[in-house]
Amino acid sequence: MEHFASVTELLVMDHWTWAIIAVALVSIEILAPGIAFLWLGLAAGAMALLLIVIPGLSLGLQGVIYAVLAVVSVFLGRKILRRNPIATEDSLLNRRGAQYVGRVFTLENPLINGRGKIRVDDTTWVVEGPDLPAGTHVRVTAVEHVILRVERVEG
Amino acid sequence: MGPFAVAMIVLAVIIIFMGAKVVPQGFEYTVQRMGRYTMTLRPGFHIIIPVIDVIGAKINMQEQVLAIPSQEAITRDNAMVRVDGVVFYQVLDAAKAAYEVRQLEHAILQLTMTNIRTVMGGMDLDELLSQRDRINAKLLNVVDDATAPWGIKVTRIEIKDMQPPTDLIDSMARQMKAEREKRANILEAEGVRQAEILKAEGEKQAAILAAEGRREAAFRDAEARERSAEAEARATDMVSTAISAGNPLAINYFIAQKYVTALESFARSPSQKLVFMPLEASSVIGSIGGIQELWKGLGDAGASGSGIPSAGRPRS
Repeated sequence: MEHFASVTELLVMDHWTWAIIAVALVSIEILAPGIAFLWLGLAAGAMALLLIVIPGLSLGLQGVIYAVLAVVSVFLGRKILRRNPIATEDSLLNRRGAQYVGRVFTLENPLINGRGKIRVDDTTWVVEGPDLPAGTHVRVTAVEHVILRVERVEG
Repeated sequence: MGPFAVAMIVLAVIIIFMGAKVVPQGFEYTVQRMGRYTMTLRPGFHIIIPVIDVIGAKINMQEQVLAIPSQEAITRDNAMVRVDGVVFYQVLDAAKAAYEVRQLEHAILQLTMTNIRTVMGGMDLDELLSQRDRINAKLLNVVDDATAPWGIKVTRIEIKDMQPPTDLIDSMARQMKAEREKRANILEAEGVRQAEILKAEGEKQAAILAAEGRREAAFRDAEARERSAEAEARATDMVSTAISAGNPLAINYFIAQKYVTALESFARSPSQKLVFMPLEASSVIGSIGGIQELWKGLGDAGASGSGIPSAGRPRS
């Protein structure tokens, strides 16, 4: 412990040190993306700002505050992302069933007991809906796992 | 920095590393809280409670291709055929794919393989080779229904390669060759037959035309004969008319003339033989006598006294 303390005594933990740590961590994040180092880096940056405002915090206190800041930064990050969701050009990617919602198909076979099959492009899907005769036009309203919900298209 | 502070920092790092999760596009992660499935993480940034929440399975949500290894199957008409193929499938429900079935790929593979055998066992070899689309549709129907509880969608199944045994392929090739040869022979025979018919037709036509020609010629010949007979008859008629109208002795003149001419030609004949012919001088004389008679007749007609005009006869 004596030795450990003496090593940390040698380090001057002022705002510059935290700023260097912040830059290093963000750099690591850029080189090896994995989101984890980003929060640590942001927290270190916050510590640097804190030390500019309140210089001369003890090393132990700095460590505790840093640990808390790191965890808080993650939750803050999530809150910001929830408020401003990541925009995507194609929200239907990898959601095959959802791509068919709103499309109209023709029943080749009747729906019996609320179940049947339709031809969709070059494959078949199980559909659920009201009992309908073959030849009826149906619209996909929702997708539940591997089943498409359909309703009759009027007209 | 005190040990407590260091411990705090270590804890913070662990929390961040275990709690902050980024799910990449194309994947969905299932989360288990104390071993029980709670939710599915969609692509994006998520925080889970470290230690209590654990990422259960990382499910690939892209459409995937499975190669069905080559296997032997027996057709309805007892032919052994090697088949392989491909299955395209996509996970639609990550939780079901993760927990409803163990070794998803293996399960899909086994299901498809057994169903290929089933479908092929119900078809003849010829059907099998010519109706792949029907086989594919049948397989898709069965396998898709069977895999629905696992939250996956089988989008297509394709039979890639069908290999009947070598000797069967040989006999199929022979059959095809024989079939074509048969067709060729039939065509050849047809050609010969047609040619013969055409030839016979030609000959028949030629014979008919020749006969017609002969008939025509015969008609014309007959006509000619008729005409000549007619002419002869007419000539005879005219001669006899002339004779009956005139003096019959006039004929004698002509005959005598011919007679004498014939004699002359005998005499001039270059052959060194002597030709004895019964020369009735009297008849020659007679014919001359006939001429005399003629003269007489002429004389009578012309009111002259004697038949033969005598030279130096004084006019009266």
